[in-house]
Amino acid sequence: MTVTAGWYFTLAFVLFGIGSIGLLIRRNALVMFMCIELMLNAVNLTFIAAGRELHDLTGQLSVFFVLVVAAAEVVVGLAIIVAVFRTRRTASVDELHELKG
Amino acid sequence: MSDIVNVSYLAVGPEIILTLGAVAVLLVDVFRKPSPRVHAWIAGFTLALAGVVAGFQWTAEPSVSFSGMISIDRFGTLATFIILGVAALGLATAWGMVERLGRRGAESIVLVFMAAAGFQLMATSQNLMMIFLGLEIASLSLYVLAGISRERVQADEAALKYFLLGSFASAVFVYGVALTFAGTGHLSILDLRQFFATYVVLRPGVTLAAMAMLIIGLAFKVSAAPFHVWAPDAYQGSPAGIVGFMAAAAKVGAFAALARILIAGFPFYQDVWSDGLALLAAISITVGMIMAIAQTDLRRMLAYSSVAHAGFILTALLGGPGGLAAVWFYLAVYTVQLIGAFAVVSSVAGPMGAQSPLSDYTGLADRSPFLAGALALFMVAMSGVPLTSGFVAKFAAFASAWAAGYEWLVILAVLASVAGFFFYLRVIVLMYMQEPAVAEAPGAAPARFQAVGAVRWVLLIAIAVTLLFGIVPGPLLDLVRNALPL
Repeated sequence: MTVTAGWYFTLAFVLFGIGSIGLLIRRNALVMFMCIELMLNAVNLTFIAAGRELHDLTGQLSVFFVLVVAAAEVVVGLAIIVAVFRTRRTASVDELHELKG
Repeated sequence: MSDIVNVSYLAVGPEIILTLGAVAVLLVDVFRKPSPRVHAWIAGFTLALAGVVAGFQWTAEPSVSFSGMISIDRFGTLATFIILGVAALGLATAWGMVERLGRRGAESIVLVFMAAAGFQLMATSQNLMMIFLGLEIASLSLYVLAGISRERVQADEAALKYFLLGSFASAVFVYGVALTFAGTGHLSILDLRQFFATYVVLRPGVTLAAMAMLIIGLAFKVSAAPFHVWAPDAYQGSPAGIVGFMAAAAKVGAFAALARILIAGFPFYQDVWSDGLALLAAISITVGMIMAIAQTDLRRMLAYSSVAHAGFILTALLGGPGGLAAVWFYLAVYTVQLIGAFAVVSSVAGPMGAQSPLSDYTGLADRSPFLAGALALFMVAMSGVPLTSGFVAKFAAFASAWAAGYEWLVILAVLASVAGFFFYLRVIVLMYMQEPAVAEAPGAAPARFQAVGAVRWVLLIAIAVTLLFGIVPGPLLDLVRNALPL
């Protein structure tokens, strides 16, 4: 059996789904953030599989952009999570309830 | 078209100048430790220069450069103008915050510049990957701005919520980009249009899913319901001075990208995406108006009202290329009203303040007649009363959707606008017809608030724009009709 690009698209779709469901049901900011990273990696897999299937380097090239953006997001995201942890000693989003209405 | 490598620095001129300005502010801050006044000069000069370069773009022939990545067209240039104006007004409103942040003041100027450059890139890019990059440059700057007064628990909570949901939206958007590539093999918007015009799409499902993902990702950024949940918290918890910029600039950049992708890239799917947008608009208008009535905090109310306004702008977008003028007019005047309203909020709550309970505003007219009058005008304009810019904007938006055959949506939107009078008028009644709440200490007079320094100018400009384009909308309407994408 040959593994065609379609399998990779399906795998990426499943990963993306796991990431988005995890973001919605997990309550720890760090785990939610990891779910976002999982979603971005699913995007990368889609790009690579499509680039390979279409014989087009644009797909692999785009992965670099997504990687760099993900790295920048880690920098900002972890800083925000650390700032929240410092003031409250918790990273659970359920404890964040100053703002509501 | 995309084979020709031509480099036109004019196409990215305003972004380059903003970036250089940001670097200049940082370097001067490190080496000279100047007073905020020096930063104000650099910031003003940078914004003015970027505006001049954008003026050159307006008169230039429409073209694409950087291998089809960036375009010069009046669509992008108009967005650049609006974003620069929003940045100038927003920075002036936030100046109290910049001064109070001390050593971090320069950073907030830099972040405003980077966010503006990112949103401009979103509006001028012809390539989905570039739009994603612009989106991320801008969003990451805004997450940091939301939490810049990180010692306050409200600010870091707002930043975290904004960050988690914003990153989720970005991931959804970029998955849409990846699926577009998988379905068609193209990332350039012009190539996409040509592809749909010449070839039969082999994977229509993938392409439709891609389009939905792109729309959902950007709907998050413009805070259209049901993707609006971050907006009230982010608006309420962030420093009062900067919220106006955050809200207004994000709307301009994301709506520009949405309009360009759908109208220039997916014109052959218009009957599909316009149904989707109509649904989003209907939900946004209904949810925004109903939730705004229940709020006891002015900022949350403004947040929900901005959800409804996102719905009105989506209504305008339903007209396709013919509705673009209505979109631009709405964005141009609504962003000014929004910044004006938040300038009043930051005068009352203090530039660093979080939370703006409505009780702060009871009897405001006696204590601060100028602030109360300004806020009353913005409320009236947002509710769409004639002789204000809000009325013309709503009228143009509804006319665009009516012409596109969405009569049911227009009827719903008109009914919601009438219902919206209730909560906009409630603020005015509070300010003008009620006595202020009894102060805690007996004999202590309720606080008087004043618009200090640059905020007064922001308010005067916002009042002038709101009235001017309400009474003589013709010139601006003629101007925005030219703003079509390539």
